[in-house]
Amino acid sequence: MEHIGLTHYLIVSAVLFCCGIFTTATKRNAIGILIGVELMLNSTGINLVAFDRYMGPGRLDGQIVALFMIVLAAAETALAVGICINVYKNLSTVDVDSASQLRG
Amino acid sequence: MTMCLAQSNAWAGIDVTRHLFLFSPILALILTMLAIVACPIIVGRSAKTIGAVAVMGIIASFILALRVAGEVSEGGVSGLSTLPAAGLLLVDNLSIAFQIILLAFMGGVTYLWWMGSSDSEENAPEFFILLFGSAVGMALMVSTSNLLMIALAIETASLPSYAMVGFDKRDRRGAEAALKYLIFGAISAAIMLYGISLLYGMSGSLSVSVVAKHCIEALATGHDLVITMVGLMCLLAGIAFKVSAFPFHFWCPDAFEGAKVEVTTWLSVASKSAALILLARLVMVFCASISAPEAIGILSPLAWGIGIMAVMTCTLGNFAAYKQTSVKRLLAYSSIAHAGYMLMAVAVFVHPNSEHSQDGISALLTYIAIYMFMNLGAFGVVSMVVWDTGSDKLSSFTGLLRRAPLLAIPMVVCLMSLVGLPPFAGFIGKWWILVALGQLNNTLGWFLIIAAVFNTLISLYYYMRIVVHMTLRDDGQPALSFPLGGVALVNLCAIVLLAMFGLAQPMKTTSEQFTRNIFDTTTVAKTAVVDAATIQPIESVQR
Repeated sequence: MEHIGLTHYLIVSAVLFCCGIFTTATKRNAIGILIGVELMLNSTGINLVAFDRYMGPGRLDGQIVALFMIVLAAAETALAVGICINVYKNLSTVDVDSASQLRG
Repeated sequence: MTMCLAQSNAWAGIDVTRHLFLFSPILALILTMLAIVACPIIVGRSAKTIGAVAVMGIIASFILALRVAGEVSEGGVSGLSTLPAAGLLLVDNLSIAFQIILLAFMGGVTYLWWMGSSDSEENAPEFFILLFGSAVGMALMVSTSNLLMIALAIETASLPSYAMVGFDKRDRRGAEAALKYLIFGAISAAIMLYGISLLYGMSGSLSVSVVAKHCIEALATGHDLVITMVGLMCLLAGIAFKVSAFPFHFWCPDAFEGAKVEVTTWLSVASKSAALILLARLVMVFCASISAPEAIGILSPLAWGIGIMAVMTCTLGNFAAYKQTSVKRLLAYSSIAHAGYMLMAVAVFVHPNSEHSQDGISALLTYIAIYMFMNLGAFGVVSMVVWDTGSDKLSSFTGLLRRAPLLAIPMVVCLMSLVGLPPFAGFIGKWWILVALGQLNNTLGWFLIIAAVFNTLISLYYYMRIVVHMTLRDDGQPALSFPLGGVALVNLCAIVLLAMFGLAQPMKTTSEQFTRNIFDTTTVAKTAVVDAATIQPIESVQR
């Protein structure tokens, strides 16, 4: 039976990251794009914790960074939802394609 | 391997008072932010009161920064730990010089905001909390060489910026600009964090000097090359977004056009130059990690990458500025072009032992200082035209020489300085970047020089278009009314630009003094950390 090693975690996180990129590239709804960004941030968290677990005993840096990332993601989401609500009030939609006044 | 802050013995031998003093400019900004939070409860939400508190905070922080500059001017370095390389924060000549420039510019932006705000302005506390928050982020951005702190600083600078762009809740364009800025920013931040996680995993440390060593090893031996380079590219992408360099520039014109003029002024100089200094520091750490001067060629893919990005940014910004009818948007594209010129200075990769080791970085610092005055003056005039006519279209500038000569003349000075014509300071900034590139004396250097000169010629056209509209045309629009304080500000900027041209030599000496020993800092960092070698191979620790 094969052990689950670092590579497996890295593959999961890479797949998650690609899903995030795909979501941000294809979704036209601002909230959908933000969910894609969350996927990307969480793949970072998996990477960091997996590296700490497998790359040497007593390593903590990655886990501390992962905690910071969670706080960062929360702060960013709060602000993003605020801006989305403001956009909805002004344009009555959060479809990014409808935000087309500024161009050129 | 844990972060030094987490180790109990890391605090031994640290002079806490001195360290707090070295970080006092940033601490003063944070305290002022808290004071502004408390102000509405104690003295009310009047715009003038809040503005006064903010100005006092900026002045206090500025004075502290000048005092710290005296302490560190001879290559002092400090971190919140005994090992400079492992510390999350550091103070050196470069970071303190940038903080001084940043605070001076912040004073100018606050003054501009104060001029433009009416007595009915109700959101003054919120505006200044956001302004100070982003300023703290930018100050931190330049005073770290730790990946975690880089990520946190960039986010601290970015998050308030998104909110500032959409500050006017009833403004459709502001809301749209904030949405675009936010989406691009969030995606690029996520990409950067992924890159940081890869770099951390590969090198085993968050310290940039260890990461740089690992990257150079990977470049030299080809071991782990792909994954390390992917990580490095992701990190550079995040920084390039803040610089608004070529493939990551889309947010810039939209965000700048939709935002209020004061916010545009702030973002166009402060956020870009902070990211450029951060990038320059990364480049220096990479160069310092190379042992022999001959081996600097190993970094040539990286140097070419940044160089080509600089040329693309520059050319794109200049060509896109051509057909703009909104002066605000035109200046946004112009700021992209200027970010390109400054990136060229960053692309000067030289070994610390070489004769011209600090030319690129001192040219960059001078350019930022000059650029600050040029943009403050130009955007100051734009904001006063917008306050009076309600439009930033080119047509509302027609005949400005007759309608408001005291605005038109400084505007001409600032625009000519942005082009880089000789009697104004903009020429000096560009000249020194070209000199630094020429001293590289390699293909990349000459390629960048040709690109810069070519771009300057293109940019002449669209800056002259504004000048022609202001001076030669007149369609009989009524005279402009403007606040006297604002006129004083833009004229001061114009005079400073003229004076700086005369004071070129002292300026060069000063900026060289502030960039002296930067490489020593990074060399110290290099020798202080050797723990990368202690990482065990992956197989041996699978539990």
